[in-house]
Amino acid sequence: MRPLPDWLTDDRETAALAAMLAPDSSSSLEALAAESRAITLRRFGRTMTLYAPLYLSNYCSSGCVYCGFASDRKTVRHRLEPDETDRELAAMKKLGISDVLLLTGERTAAADFDYLRQSVEIAAKTMQRVSVEAFPMSVAEYRALADCGCTGITIYQETYNRERYEALHRWGPKKDFIDRLETPARALEGGIKSVGLGVLLGLSDPVEDALSLYRHLRHLGRTYWRAGMSLSFPRMRPQTGGYEPPFAVDDHTLARMIFAFRIALPDTELVLSTRESAAYRDGMSGLGITRMSIESRTTVGGYHETENKEKGQFEIFDDRTAKEFCTALRKKNIEPVFKNWEPAYNGPSDGNTAIIHTGEPQPCH
Amino acid sequence: MDSLQLGSYTFSSRLILGTGKFSSAAVMLEAVRASGAQLITVALRRFNREQAEDDLFGPLSAMKGITLMPNTSGASTAAEAVRAAHIARELSGSAFIKVEIHPNPQHLMPDPIETFEAARILAKEGFLVMPYITADPVLAKRLEEVGCASVMPLGSAIGSGQGVATAAMIEIIIRESGIPVIVDAGLRSPSEAAHAMEMGCGAVLVNSAVAVAGNPPEMAEAFAEAVSAGRKAFRAGLMQKSGSAIATSPLTTFLGTY
Amino acid sequence: MITIELNGQQQPLPADSAVSDLLAIIGSDGKSVAVVVNEQIIRPDNRSAHLLHEGDKVELLIFAGGG
Repeated sequence: MRPLPDWLTDDRETAALAAMLAPDSSSSLEALAAESRAITLRRFGRTMTLYAPLYLSNYCSSGCVYCGFASDRKTVRHRLEPDETDRELAAMKKLGISDVLLLTGERTAAADFDYLRQSVEIAAKTMQRVSVEAFPMSVAEYRALADCGCTGITIYQETYNRERYEALHRWGPKKDFIDRLETPARALEGGIKSVGLGVLLGLSDPVEDALSLYRHLRHLGRTYWRAGMSLSFPRMRPQTGGYEPPFAVDDHTLARMIFAFRIALPDTELVLSTRESAAYRDGMSGLGITRMSIESRTTVGGYHETENKEKGQFEIFDDRTAKEFCTALRKKNIEPVFKNWEPAYNGPSDGNTAIIHTGEPQPCH
Repeated sequence: MDSLQLGSYTFSSRLILGTGKFSSAAVMLEAVRASGAQLITVALRRFNREQAEDDLFGPLSAMKGITLMPNTSGASTAAEAVRAAHIARELSGSAFIKVEIHPNPQHLMPDPIETFEAARILAKEGFLVMPYITADPVLAKRLEEVGCASVMPLGSAIGSGQGVATAAMIEIIIRESGIPVIVDAGLRSPSEAAHAMEMGCGAVLVNSAVAVAGNPPEMAEAFAEAVSAGRKAFRAGLMQKSGSAIATSPLTTFLGTY
Repeated sequence: MITIELNGQQQPLPADSAVSDLLAIIGSDGKSVAVVVNEQIIRPDNRSAHLLHEGDKVELLIFAGGG
């Protein structure tokens, strides 16, 4: 078994964040909110970047205990064929969406790398920004995706507690904790311009996971200093598989986490999805979150057809239309941003190569 | 043990002392002794038989626990700095080289382009390159990428005594850097050195502030104490500054109450 | 006799002088001096073998105060 990297347990930098996150923290939630809001306003202005997910396929080779698409679930499996992907994207465009996140399960023969690359190619024809949340790939594969117009990779560690991780991921390629941990670095090495990290809140101790997430981001930021970074705070919702999260995170704890991360990482994009309720997302707008999904469907496809009774990966909490959502944002004096990337800049980023250190890795201070 | 690691060298002192501008070699040596500094900068000069006392190599190498870090001052291009580094290595016997390239003798601001080029060449040749730079976070990362042992952003202009005027930029450099960040130039008082160390600098380099003080050895000692106090404070973890004022209308009511 | 340029100034020397002879003439033990002849560094173990020629540009450098 490969050992954990040193940076994952290095607590020299996490003291301030830990102090803000501690359940008995002396900083009141209201004070953290005020500071987080001031930083967000200064750095990002009164804007919210919007994107929508498109599930390409629900085939999966992994046995994640908590996931509705795990390979032992009875869910009907299918994938979008190129013409269907086209239709879905066209339907999304009609909703105003031009920033798409393409999703698949773990690598399978039905939804393999070639399939994913082809889907990116299709999406890049009409969308302004294409990012991917799929399976871990090699540096060469990431470079090929970047060549086709993929600019971002989202890959969550789910939990940084190795023991729990290995228990929760019962089989399949995702079982390898270290390989998963090293995936964002491979993406950046391959010229992907930005990576999204996150933990699935509910799987393990949230504070411990948050501190590790912070270390992961800081570690990547030092090495791949040209790269964009984002963090997500997905909270476990009732899944198709009926999994009860053992470390359920309440509204206050999640809020504290978002504020603390904003304060600790003033420049990092913080993402909140439609897993959260309309009231929660509205309340969070302007306080720290800078990127939100809208109009989400968590079934394969789901934008084109009007009637879809199949079950998605998880349940959507905020099911407002883009129009309704934007009205709510504007009411809070926040401008919805649908285009935040110009495809003319697509292509692998050449600068993203690991720093060559001479000799032993050094403590940074 | 909290020590400063530069290449394969380990230093317990985080104060680096320059040897210019002292009233005499004897006072300088006394200040070096009082400072406890283990890394000492020197400059290359032409030999002059009328001023044999200028030669610092003998007395400095006779002191125990001192490593010499020659600088390339006088160079205004990368090629000149590389040449100076080669000559300096002959004398110092150490791999350290402070790359210092300032084309304008008035303000002595470092040339980032020539500095980068010289650092790239010298790091490849195995030097422990310590580049003196403006407080530019991108330049600092580029220098780290080519294998520098540290980066040495200026606190303010050389000899200006304006302190850490570039604090906001230096904070970014420290946050992003994988190699020690050393504030070089501009410090006037020990409290400024302590401040730099509290921010998380790996070391500070001081020269004028000690050399032109009323009592240089005493000032050297004061800097040494300030540097170790600042370092200790950084390691201990400073109290968080209090955040912004609480908004008049609460921001978190949407969460409901417990 | 030959004339070399020493640190930018004319310096007469007996013909067939080596670098080590020059150091002796100007009163340096050579320990704390770097010698550069026509841009080429002359290491201590080469100084008695390296002969100087008419018009050679010789730089003798020491460590002095600097920050």
